[in-house]
Amino acid sequence: MMTLQLPSFLLVALILFSVGLYGALTKRNAVIVLLSIELMLNAANINLVAFAKYGLHAAITGQIFTLFSMTVAAAEVAVGLAILIALYRNRATVNIDEMDTMKH
Amino acid sequence: MDVKDIFSYNWSYLLPELIILGFATALSLLDLAMGKRTNRAVLAWLALAGVLLSGIFVVVNMVTLNAPYSYMADMLRVDGYGNAFKLLFLSGVAFTLILSVCYMKQGEITHQGEYYYLLLTALLGAMVMASSADLITLFVGLELLSLSSYVLVGLRKKSLNANESSFKYVVSGGIATAFTLFGMSYMYGLGGTTNLYLLADRLSEAYAGGYAFLVLLAFAFVVIGLSFKISAVPNHMWAPDVYQGAPTPITAFLAVVSKTAGFAMVFRLLFGAFIGLASPAGGSVLMENLSPYISVIAAASMIIGNTMALRQTNVKRMMAYSGIAQAGYILVPFATLTSLFFEQSVFYLFAYLLASFGAFAVLMLVFRDQQSEELKSFAGLYHRSPLVAVAMTIFLLSMAGIPVTAGFIGKFYLFVSAILQHHYWLSAVMIATSVISYYYYFGIIRQMYMRPGATEAPLPLPKGVAFVIVLTALATFVVGIVPGAVFDFVQAHFNPSFDFGGMTSSSK
Repeated sequence: MMTLQLPSFLLVALILFSVGLYGALTKRNAVIVLLSIELMLNAANINLVAFAKYGLHAAITGQIFTLFSMTVAAAEVAVGLAILIALYRNRATVNIDEMDTMKH
Repeated sequence: MDVKDIFSYNWSYLLPELIILGFATALSLLDLAMGKRTNRAVLAWLALAGVLLSGIFVVVNMVTLNAPYSYMADMLRVDGYGNAFKLLFLSGVAFTLILSVCYMKQGEITHQGEYYYLLLTALLGAMVMASSADLITLFVGLELLSLSSYVLVGLRKKSLNANESSFKYVVSGGIATAFTLFGMSYMYGLGGTTNLYLLADRLSEAYAGGYAFLVLLAFAFVVIGLSFKISAVPNHMWAPDVYQGAPTPITAFLAVVSKTAGFAMVFRLLFGAFIGLASPAGGSVLMENLSPYISVIAAASMIIGNTMALRQTNVKRMMAYSGIAQAGYILVPFATLTSLFFEQSVFYLFAYLLASFGAFAVLMLVFRDQQSEELKSFAGLYHRSPLVAVAMTIFLLSMAGIPVTAGFIGKFYLFVSAILQHHYWLSAVMIATSVISYYYYFGIIRQMYMRPGATEAPLPLPKGVAFVIVLTALATFVVGIVPGAVFDFVQAHFNPSFDFGGMTSSSK
């Protein structure tokens, strides 16, 4: 039976991170941007969990770290959405391109 | 670990953090209990009392603790390094609170209770960042500071600028967090532990054992992620927009406390984990191979910050670019790495704290009076209020690095260490960009003394703000005359053994 090796996990995480970064930098819809940031954070979580099992010094700490980072990511997206709602009330848009009142 | 072990620690050394946590909790409950129309200024004074009390206990720790004290395998540790930074954070937040009381009278912020206790949670996050030697707690501290400041920036809910700047802050902060976390995940993967001292050993094993590329990748990710908090290149683009949209006391908080916390974490994390890497020839990788990259980041921050500041007419944006340049200067001791690294950084950060808070206090007064954030609002300030104008001149001279101010001495130390370590091009960039910065700093001075203002009426000067301005101006001046006193104080109380403030020596 073929078993999954560490590089496969790392590769998935790296791809996920890159997809997230691409989305965060190019998408126009603010909600998609927040989602893309979640992808990036979860890519790091995949790394942590994979390393916790297959790392150079495999230890459970990585999974504990993941619990913390998931909580933090949830708080971050909650704050992000709250701010987006405040913005939407004043501006009636979630389009990133229109957030340019301070350009110089 | 047993439950019994948790009680075996002497928790009294953690009182500074616990007091801030307690006050933040108490304030949030009090805010709920208070009537809707009640004046919330009392919360500000309570918060200030908490900050001062916490400061007293930091001093007690400084006096009573001779060796670093570690909790739960360095999840938190009380050492000279952390104490020095904690004092900087606490004085910064004390100034922010005093300025906030005055700022609130403009009535733009309707949720004042939230404002004060979020400031305290942000402070708590900063304190954890300075006093932890574990990836998990460092990360949680970083995020506690970040999340609190995202909300603080956006608290002027009706203002479009504030909404926009806080959203930009969340997005760029989120991306930076992801970079930091991704770098940390590689660090953990190579070391199998989150403790920085263990990591230092295991990373150097991994580096020697054929994983050099991954170690350097982790380093790069962490540096990119953390450059956000110190607003250095390549993660500096958020600063002008966020500084402009945030309430002025919060701008000062971001410019000083948040940035200092970023430096505390950068130094602790990168030194703690990467100091042990040795090249095959036996030299230190951090000093030989990685410090050039730090130098490039420092130089790029100085150049971009100072040149972009030239074309700003909005003073807050100008201060943001000036802050980017200052971040570049504070990275110089990290790039040159002498045994005085710790003293140099703390001294420069102290001088920067004094000058920035003074300058932002003046900015707040002038903006409030003129209802404008443009450079022209400073016109004729000398004739309206000579005291404020002279104090502002001292702050600007200190930031520009002109003699008889604290800022000059700070820059001078950095410059000397750059020369001594043969970083000639870095010192050249330092000098050149400092000269460029004179132009925009003197632009404000020119407005204050030589341009006629729209009005000659005396500038109203509330007591709290006057206190901040006079105190910081005097301190900037006095530290500029007797810098040795501060330098000796830092050496005597925070750094007895030249081990970067007790940072690189594990307590085990």
